[in-house]
Amino acid sequence: MADSGEEPLQRLKVHWSLSAHARRLLVLAVAGVALAVLTRRAEFAGLAAPALLLLATWQADRRPEVAMRIHLGTATLVEGVSAAIDVEIHGHEAFDARLLIEPTGTVLAGDAVDVRAGRPVRTAVLRVVPTRWGRYSLGVLVITFTDRYRLTEGTVVTQLPFVSPYPQAASLQSSVVLSRLPSRLGEHPARVAGDGVEFAGVREFVPGDRQRRINWPATTRHGSLHLSTFSAERTQNVVVIADETSDVGEPGASSLDLVLRGASGVITRYLAARDRVGLIIFAGRLSWIGPGQGQRHWYRLLDLMMSAPGGWDRAPGLSRLPRAALPPGSLILVFSPLLDPRLVEALRDLRERGFSVIVIDVLNTEPGHDGSRLSRLTARMWHLEQQAVRFSLTQIGVPVVHWDGVSSLDTPLAPYTRRVLVAHR
Amino acid sequence: MTLPASNSPARRTRPGYGIAATSALAAGVILWSAFPLSTGRAGTRLALAVAIAAGVMSLAQLAAAAIGNRESDGFAALDQVARWLTGLVKALPWAELLIVAVLVLEALHASRPWHTAMLGVALTGYLLAVHLTETRSGAGVLRAQLPLLCAGLALTALSVGAAALPHFMAGPADATIRIVALIVAVVAVSLAVPVWLSRPGRARGR
Repeated sequence: MADSGEEPLQRLKVHWSLSAHARRLLVLAVAGVALAVLTRRAEFAGLAAPALLLLATWQADRRPEVAMRIHLGTATLVEGVSAAIDVEIHGHEAFDARLLIEPTGTVLAGDAVDVRAGRPVRTAVLRVVPTRWGRYSLGVLVITFTDRYRLTEGTVVTQLPFVSPYPQAASLQSSVVLSRLPSRLGEHPARVAGDGVEFAGVREFVPGDRQRRINWPATTRHGSLHLSTFSAERTQNVVVIADETSDVGEPGASSLDLVLRGASGVITRYLAARDRVGLIIFAGRLSWIGPGQGQRHWYRLLDLMMSAPGGWDRAPGLSRLPRAALPPGSLILVFSPLLDPRLVEALRDLRERGFSVIVIDVLNTEPGHDGSRLSRLTARMWHLEQQAVRFSLTQIGVPVVHWDGVSSLDTPLAPYTRRVLVAHR
Repeated sequence: MTLPASNSPARRTRPGYGIAATSALAAGVILWSAFPLSTGRAGTRLALAVAIAAGVMSLAQLAAAAIGNRESDGFAALDQVARWLTGLVKALPWAELLIVAVLVLEALHASRPWHTAMLGVALTGYLLAVHLTETRSGAGVLRAQLPLLCAGLALTALSVGAAALPHFMAGPADATIRIVALIVAVVAVSLAVPVWLSRPGRARGR
């Protein structure tokens, strides 16, 4: 997210110098005149004439400061999504300006943008693409002013703002829906009858029923009044658990990257479906926000995700997640590489408390080994241990699906999105 | 990955074309100033070697600027050497060195006024090509300089005439050359003075 809205006008010092073009013209002029004098050959002076005439347009009157405003065009930055930086230059209207972003390692920047001389206030739009989530500077902006004869160059270097791009949300078109939903108005058809729009069945009329719901074809067939029933439309509570205790794998596609992208995708999808979404960050300490709805809630959840400290911490009590963050009957989606035994313990506890839990396993790497017998044996033991963890979760009714971070989340969640997930207690 | 510029009013040239044009001009000025090698005085071959080296390095400098900074791990010996060579290519003013070497090469030959004038034209063209290539600008940015360049070329032609004058005997040719020289001088002044008077700094001062 951008740090601020309207940026103030800042005054920056311009470092004026001779341009490389002017230096070369000067060398040609001086060498030509010197050779003309030394060799007493007039043609060398003539050779220097174009360069001398061009240099004669040199102007010494240059203002030492420039006023400018740098404004991030978009309020929310997302990794991998292009963003615009609006730059306003006040003054120095006699000089052409070339604006170039020298980005930091995690940012891609566009080509230099040229702004012609002529107006007192000139604007340019530069494009950047943050390639990673996190908090970092976009780089520096270098503005080079050039006079119309290309003899003088004024350089301004200024720091671009720090930004906190959100992780790119994983693609998720479908959603997992529980069989039992809390009695809150929403958009999922529930099993109980209600005032929704999805047809549920036909039953006999009883006094007190609304006449507008009479099903006339069924009434004609049966000879008595029948009416249509419809499913109630309910919302569901979804709690996303993001395991930030470990970060293994290639930078940019590590387990932490996948946890954040997956969690972001799920949050975005369920909030768009008007469900109530909460978030628990399972890191060195627990941070959570209870389920809620709306765009503002989306920002709250994403901000929590970005602000939570990662890393390993042996804080006690992490194996039991707080009751306040987990409304009864919630669907719990866990993004984790399943490397922290405390999280595995917490999942067992959640299952014992009757929650429907799905674990999305984001572990796409394994410990390297040098090929020696001991190393191979260690790697094999590690594999067996990982398999055992996943098997034990499956046995207690916690499905574990693997996500590679490249494909859509629909693929691993397909067995659970095609039909209603029955909530067991 | 490079993103496309969104609002770039100036037409850009591809660096490949610029480098090709600069190479042709650099080769041209070196050949023009060096040959015939046999008539050159002592030091001609040395000046030619310096000119060729400076020409090649100036082109390498332009190519390095066009390619940009390549990121590398930086610890391999090959990377270190590559970085040192790139630093060397970028650090020295090779184009300036080429200008000086070519002029020295021309001075080491006997006086050839028209030949020197043509060299001046080619050298000016080379400098403009280098500038356009390194700034990736189109030729349109030189529009403001055009009157001055024309005036400068007129003065160059005038200098050729002045240098050639001692070779003519008194007579109609001499008078004709003087008249042409006067016309050329008037044209040069009429081109240069308005440009000088319309400088932005001067206009603001008034």
